[in-house]
Amino acid sequence: MAERAAPIDYGPPVDPRAEFIKRELDDPAEQIDVGVAIVGGGTAGLACANRLMQLLAEDPEMAQRLGEVPVAVIEKAKSCGAHSLSGAVMRPDALRELYPELTREQWREEGFAFGEVTKEAVYLLPGATAKVKLPTPPPFRNHGNEVVSVSALARFQQRTAEERGAYVLTETSAAQLLVADGVVRGVRSGDKGRGKDGEPLPNFEPGTDIVARATVLAEGCWGHLTGAAIGEFGLGEGREPQVWELGVKEVWRVPRPLDRVIHTVGPWPLKLAARYHQIGGTWIYPMKDARTGEDLVSIGFVVDLEYADATTSPHDLLQLFKTHPLVRGILEGGERVAWGAKALPGGGYWSMPRLTMPGALLAGDAAGLVDTVALKGVHHALRSGILAADAVHAALARGDHDLSAYERAVQDSPIGRELYQVRNTRQPFSKGFLQGGAAVNLSIATKGRFPAGRIHWHRDDAREMFVGDSAESYPRADGKYIFDKLSSVYLSGNATRDDAPNHIRVRRNVPRAIAETWRWMCPAAVYEIPDGAPADGEVDVIVNYTNCVQCGAITAKGGRLTTPEGGDGPLYRIT
Amino acid sequence: MTDILVYALHYRGAFNKNSLGAVSEAARLAGELGGEADAVVVGDVGDDLAASLGSYGARKVYRAAAPEGLAQPVVDVMAAVMTDHDVRYALFGGGLLGFEIGAGLAARLGAGVTMEVTAVNVEDGALAAERPILGDSSISTSRYRGRGIIIARLNAFEIRERGEGPATVEDVEVELSPFSTQATMVRRGEQRGADVNIEDADVLVAGGRGLGRAEGFQLAEELATALGGAVAATRAVVDAGWYPYAAQIGQTGKTVAPKLYLAAGISGAIQHKVGMQGSENIVAINKDANAPIFEFSDLGVVGDLNKILPKLTAAVKARKGR
Repeated sequence: MAERAAPIDYGPPVDPRAEFIKRELDDPAEQIDVGVAIVGGGTAGLACANRLMQLLAEDPEMAQRLGEVPVAVIEKAKSCGAHSLSGAVMRPDALRELYPELTREQWREEGFAFGEVTKEAVYLLPGATAKVKLPTPPPFRNHGNEVVSVSALARFQQRTAEERGAYVLTETSAAQLLVADGVVRGVRSGDKGRGKDGEPLPNFEPGTDIVARATVLAEGCWGHLTGAAIGEFGLGEGREPQVWELGVKEVWRVPRPLDRVIHTVGPWPLKLAARYHQIGGTWIYPMKDARTGEDLVSIGFVVDLEYADATTSPHDLLQLFKTHPLVRGILEGGERVAWGAKALPGGGYWSMPRLTMPGALLAGDAAGLVDTVALKGVHHALRSGILAADAVHAALARGDHDLSAYERAVQDSPIGRELYQVRNTRQPFSKGFLQGGAAVNLSIATKGRFPAGRIHWHRDDAREMFVGDSAESYPRADGKYIFDKLSSVYLSGNATRDDAPNHIRVRRNVPRAIAETWRWMCPAAVYEIPDGAPADGEVDVIVNYTNCVQCGAITAKGGRLTTPEGGDGPLYRIT
Repeated sequence: MTDILVYALHYRGAFNKNSLGAVSEAARLAGELGGEADAVVVGDVGDDLAASLGSYGARKVYRAAAPEGLAQPVVDVMAAVMTDHDVRYALFGGGLLGFEIGAGLAARLGAGVTMEVTAVNVEDGALAAERPILGDSSISTSRYRGRGIIIARLNAFEIRERGEGPATVEDVEVELSPFSTQATMVRRGEQRGADVNIEDADVLVAGGRGLGRAEGFQLAEELATALGGAVAATRAVVDAGWYPYAAQIGQTGKTVAPKLYLAAGISGAIQHKVGMQGSENIVAINKDANAPIFEFSDLGVVGDLNKILPKLTAAVKARKGR
């Protein structure tokens, strides 16, 4: 059997502070000057852009001062939302605040909202066919919330931001953070038109320094520049390390409408024994498309990335979950219309880095603003974008780089309050589901007062991996109900050009336990172990980086995702 | 306004396969519309060659003096013919040149244009073009208020000889726009990196990672030579540097539809399948009996390529008496 190994000991050849931070700005004639640079056209970044444009509409003098491009949103995908994925059941308050003139019916007519939750059910799954209905625990109470697609929401937000005068630069990656004299000065966009080995092709276009008076890092999970900024400004000091989860999702067109949101909390199909250390859960949400009348269902599987069995595959676990009669009864006779995968920050309150640095701040998933007990982050992302806009506007009005008011605003807002309440709710699970379960219940029942204090945890990549047997239970793809990874990547719309440079930093020669971890974890079949690789000892991993859907999980397990060339990656539409 | 005009590209005295497919399809559609299918040729085309388009269903062939292989002169010629003869539709067999001419023609005539079309139907006395969208997961149908320019995906149309007589060849004089004569053809040639244009080959032997190593392609090449075909490859082996990109089949490579597609050591992921699923006969050899390729092969062989390919090559040679 292969030796155990921890991914942290096989880290990628990368030096974020040297590579991803640019300390000398280009000649001013070659710079692009903008007022505010927002990195990431997702839920948080576009909430910030929309709010800023509202504020600037009331403050024409400042709009004038910010120049020709008062607000620029830098988005690596082909369009905003094309790399966005979430469950998602959203608490409606923050979106109402951002668009007070819109009714929930209008949200649905715009195609990003799919109905109010009126019924809910939580199941314990003891095995492959059994289910036990639980009284709905408080974090799973969703009555009155709205099922949304963050991909479609971002497209809507892009449109309103542009109507209000923001510039959205799609197909543009933010490759480096500009830092001079201890202040963030903007970002440098990525080169385009480089070949496999980094050589310029005939259509080569170098990146440009986009210089801004304030920079908002709303890169989502896992933020390329956010990581560099946390290192550069010591934002993680005194905090717990961030830990991650990976979600894989499908959207189905179904023959019969589903009338409730469903969550399952295991144990099946995971292995909870401390040896395997698999923790996760699932969702099934009804989606009524108001524009077509179609009944859709969002189904997903989330796995905590601190598991130990290298053969843990969130994509295949979702396929396995679909074989449960509970799921078959909902999906069978339907058709899969979308697939995608995304990592999310799971550490919650104690893992949140400091959110501001001179000239820049963090918003949304990049800031770790997710409540992974309730599986909720969309409303926090929206609200953090709004608060970021307020803080940036105030700093611009004063003419300084001090954004620290944002840190307090987040703490004092429902974001800080809600995340604080569940700060110790998730970590007991790391002791194993059964031992941890009691602590979780105690924490929820007391609204977070017990257990008190602060619980410490470890980085996901410090876990020693072993090659277990989880993979033995994964079902074989039939192309109709159960799907393999490659046909799923195809459905995601990913068609990255084959001669693009590799944007994934991993070591190629690693012990088998690490290679197997990557191979099984990656939902997009990026990592392959060649036939005839030694059973033990080092393996030469094949990296099919053009399959990558940029979920970010590799960063939690021993690699590092960087930004690809702008425009590459999936084309999510209703995930 | 029920006629259809096709541009027929030629090289070294023979028409391009996709152009012949487009002529055949135009003839079928014109028959249903009650109009006629005509063709445009430019450059050095003899009477017999031009008239031979009649056997694929073209009634008239308009021949103009203009350089072959460039887009703008052909746009000039086709725009003139379509205007003078009140032609409603233009149909292209695909390829980069077809895309460029079709787009230019649509702009010139203010016509509707649809690219990457895979099927054309007659609905209520007009053409409707089907185009796969969203990574081929859905079909979008285009209909045209006035003129319509339809540009097919390569190999979308089947070549059909209709056994009809030669077409009438009519020389037309078209004055080329000044901007159309700015580019000159320096040299025409075959695609770089491939000895045979794999899109035109009737037999393809395609190699995947199952060949084991770059040298494994020698087995595929020997078999292709024996069969009189060409060698194609999957993305994985092109990525690994075993074979040139020009031979890559699939979503991010070429789309082919040969008479015989022999897949050697190819698992058959959808990204590959979309590039070759139009093949008439698919034969797969793979050591993994569970490989998806067997789900859409006409004949599947589970076994070791290193043993099967040389024997197959020897058997083909013996059969052909070489």
